[in-house]
Amino acid sequence: MSQSPPHVLHGLRVLDLTRALAGPTCSRMLAEMGAEVIKVESAPRGDMVRNASTFRNNRSLYYVQHNRGKKSLCVNLRDPRGMALVASLVPKVDIVVENFKPGVMADMGLDYDRLKELKSDIILCSISAMGQTGPLSHKPGYDYIAQAYAGITSMIGEPDEAPYIPGVGLGDVSTGVHGALGVLAALRHRDQTGEGQHLDVALLDVYYHYHEVNVHQPKATNGKIKPKPAGRHMTYACPAGVFHATGGHVVIMAHLHHWKDLCKAIDRTDLIDHPDFETDNTRLKRRDTVTKILEDWLQAFPDVPSAVAHLEKFGVPVAPVLSVIETLDYPHHRERGTVRTINDRLHGDLDVPGFPIKFSSFPEELPLEAATLGQHNQEILTSYLGQTQDEVQQLREAGVLVEEER
Amino acid sequence: MPNGTDHLLSDLRVLDLTRALAGPSCTRMLVEMGAEVIKVEPAPGGDMVRGISVFRNERSLYYVQQNRGKKSLCVNLRDPKGLALLTELIPHVDVVVENFKPGVIANMGLGYERLKELKSDIILCSISALGQSGPLSSKPGYDYIAQAYSGVTSMIGEADDAPYIPLVGLGDVSTGVHAALAIVSALRYRDRKGIGQHLDVALLDVYYHYHEANVETYSGSGGEIKPMRAGRHMTYACPCGVFRGNGGYLVIMALLHHWKDLCKALGKDELATHPDYINDAKRLERRDEIVKMIEDWLQTFPDVASAVEYLEQHQVPVAPVLSVEETVHHPHHRARGTVRTISDPIHGDFEVPGMPLKFSALPEPLPLVAPTLGQNNEEILTTYLGRSSEDVQKLREDGVLLEKNS
Repeated sequence: MSQSPPHVLHGLRVLDLTRALAGPTCSRMLAEMGAEVIKVESAPRGDMVRNASTFRNNRSLYYVQHNRGKKSLCVNLRDPRGMALVASLVPKVDIVVENFKPGVMADMGLDYDRLKELKSDIILCSISAMGQTGPLSHKPGYDYIAQAYAGITSMIGEPDEAPYIPGVGLGDVSTGVHGALGVLAALRHRDQTGEGQHLDVALLDVYYHYHEVNVHQPKATNGKIKPKPAGRHMTYACPAGVFHATGGHVVIMAHLHHWKDLCKAIDRTDLIDHPDFETDNTRLKRRDTVTKILEDWLQAFPDVPSAVAHLEKFGVPVAPVLSVIETLDYPHHRERGTVRTINDRLHGDLDVPGFPIKFSSFPEELPLEAATLGQHNQEILTSYLGQTQDEVQQLREAGVLVEEER
Repeated sequence: MPNGTDHLLSDLRVLDLTRALAGPSCTRMLVEMGAEVIKVEPAPGGDMVRGISVFRNERSLYYVQQNRGKKSLCVNLRDPKGLALLTELIPHVDVVVENFKPGVIANMGLGYERLKELKSDIILCSISALGQSGPLSSKPGYDYIAQAYSGVTSMIGEADDAPYIPLVGLGDVSTGVHAALAIVSALRYRDRKGIGQHLDVALLDVYYHYHEANVETYSGSGGEIKPMRAGRHMTYACPCGVFRGNGGYLVIMALLHHWKDLCKALGKDELATHPDYINDAKRLERRDEIVKMIEDWLQTFPDVASAVEYLEQHQVPVAPVLSVEETVHHPHHRARGTVRTISDPIHGDFEVPGMPLKFSALPEPLPLVAPTLGQNNEEILTTYLGRSSEDVQKLREDGVLLEKNS
């Protein structure tokens, strides 16, 4: 019987062959919704991120954030007995998730056709940087590599300068979420038709998916519109972007009907119906003027919060550009669980981003813990594979199984 | 019987009360996987994006990209007869998706409690900028507002200068995908337990979810590490970021074991084992020097493509920073369907991002078409609500239903 906790995906069992960030995010989403996730970690060190980021008591917080609620099975994958253990788990699970470089699963003898022989309706979700197909698929992949190939990097910064990369794991995390959606949709299909399948989810495709207008504009305008970065402001609405204020920055979105509210807020009602400023298109032609009017006006406030409060009174969409540190104790973020404090047995309390989906049937989050390396070796081998404690001990001694308190 | 198209979710029927981008991205994901989506558009203008972006024959390509495959029901929501039609449709659907400002759907008489009376196991997915709960929830929301509140904007740009916003719909599109995942998970639960629920998915939470390390490193280091934007390079690995090449830019990720490959490529083998450059932490202390060395070397190549090719020969993770225009014609992007050409009956052929999930059981994307305003009024009222063509005509004449040819 499944040992998964009561939540929307209770009863689902996942064999997790992922490491780093994109793959573990996919299986973490499933674990946070109640799936039982068996994370296979390669002996002797396990997931490479056990050695990354901030540590306390030899415990990587990066590992903790992305692997809470998973069971750790630490096996030597270079030993045929280790590989055999992994293969023998396939019939016990609904889903296999992996994010090796394309081709590696086949080299390991675990490609989709082989998995199908082991379990006819298996769902295999392959996550990669550039995809399982196409001329770039063999390239080593990191988030920012896929971002550059997707044309996203080219849309951040000044038009005549080198672009910027965002200091957040946009591509990895959201590829994990796309992967989880693919898995759930395929599961529904399996339950109705008895058919499994192979899913191919790539950071490149996910990043590309974010282009809400850039892709359709160039050809549809016969090349008149060439999407390029435009600094701190939108290119198809105005004023909309980042503005300097006293001691910080604010985002103001005063396009469309919000313009008249902004004019009232800054006491320039003469500009509401002024032919030069009437629409987004006429304002875009005078963007520098509009920006200067706004930024000069913002300087009259002692700080960002007072400017934000004033603009809000007039119904203008506005936000302070919060630093990450400011978000941690922001009352709204705390109240919603956008940020949450979790407790780790080895580390103690720490803050991580909250689970981004709120279910009314399960308003409380599951009390998940990140496993130490190989913590569930014995449990998995005895309960799923029917091995005895002696057999497990032999495999330990032979170096096929590894356990460490970190 | 639902008449969605034959795909993973073809038994699913969705009442779509969304407009703009985040909500329509959610229902678009569902429709691309075969769900039947009835999009309710308020008369007379319909979804506001029918009035923006690039046009041909009065057809907004923005609308087409986000709404292919949906059925359009254009109703006057200010007329009680119009609202009554929506109420009548609830028992015929599995899921309702909305992205009004929190509270609006309850004011319309379609809050979750009321929906449950109409269909006991209904799933309502509410998408918003800042969430259904918390002190900021009532604020008007746009993508960049939520981004600023999440701390993500603060992580893009130079530390001593105003931050940048990426000119892509990161938050909106990805919130749609998170919501689609929530829906498919909730459906699995409903199918097993007979219980529906209310889902609360917010751009703020989704953006926050992208902090793969910023939140835990600050919290775990006891405030010692303060996450802040740091220009064009990563703060916890080096060399990693955007580099100036000849006539363009490259992303190079020569962290960890890739450093020695980069040293070989540069003809500087001695740096591979030099104690001052031995690991990422050491190299971070010399980042400016390393960036200069790499950028000087890149200038010896005639262009970006030749430098990329050379680095690839040495297995260094590298990518050219492609413009959006370059991505549209890239052979890999074409081969995978990362970019695809769609055909619109009114507009003709043009490019949009591909469906980012590839399913082996159903490898062909569905041939979806975006509806004209109110295109499916008659079909929906006669099929689901048992109205006669005369009834429909009467509602048209009363201004409750509206149809347009674009």
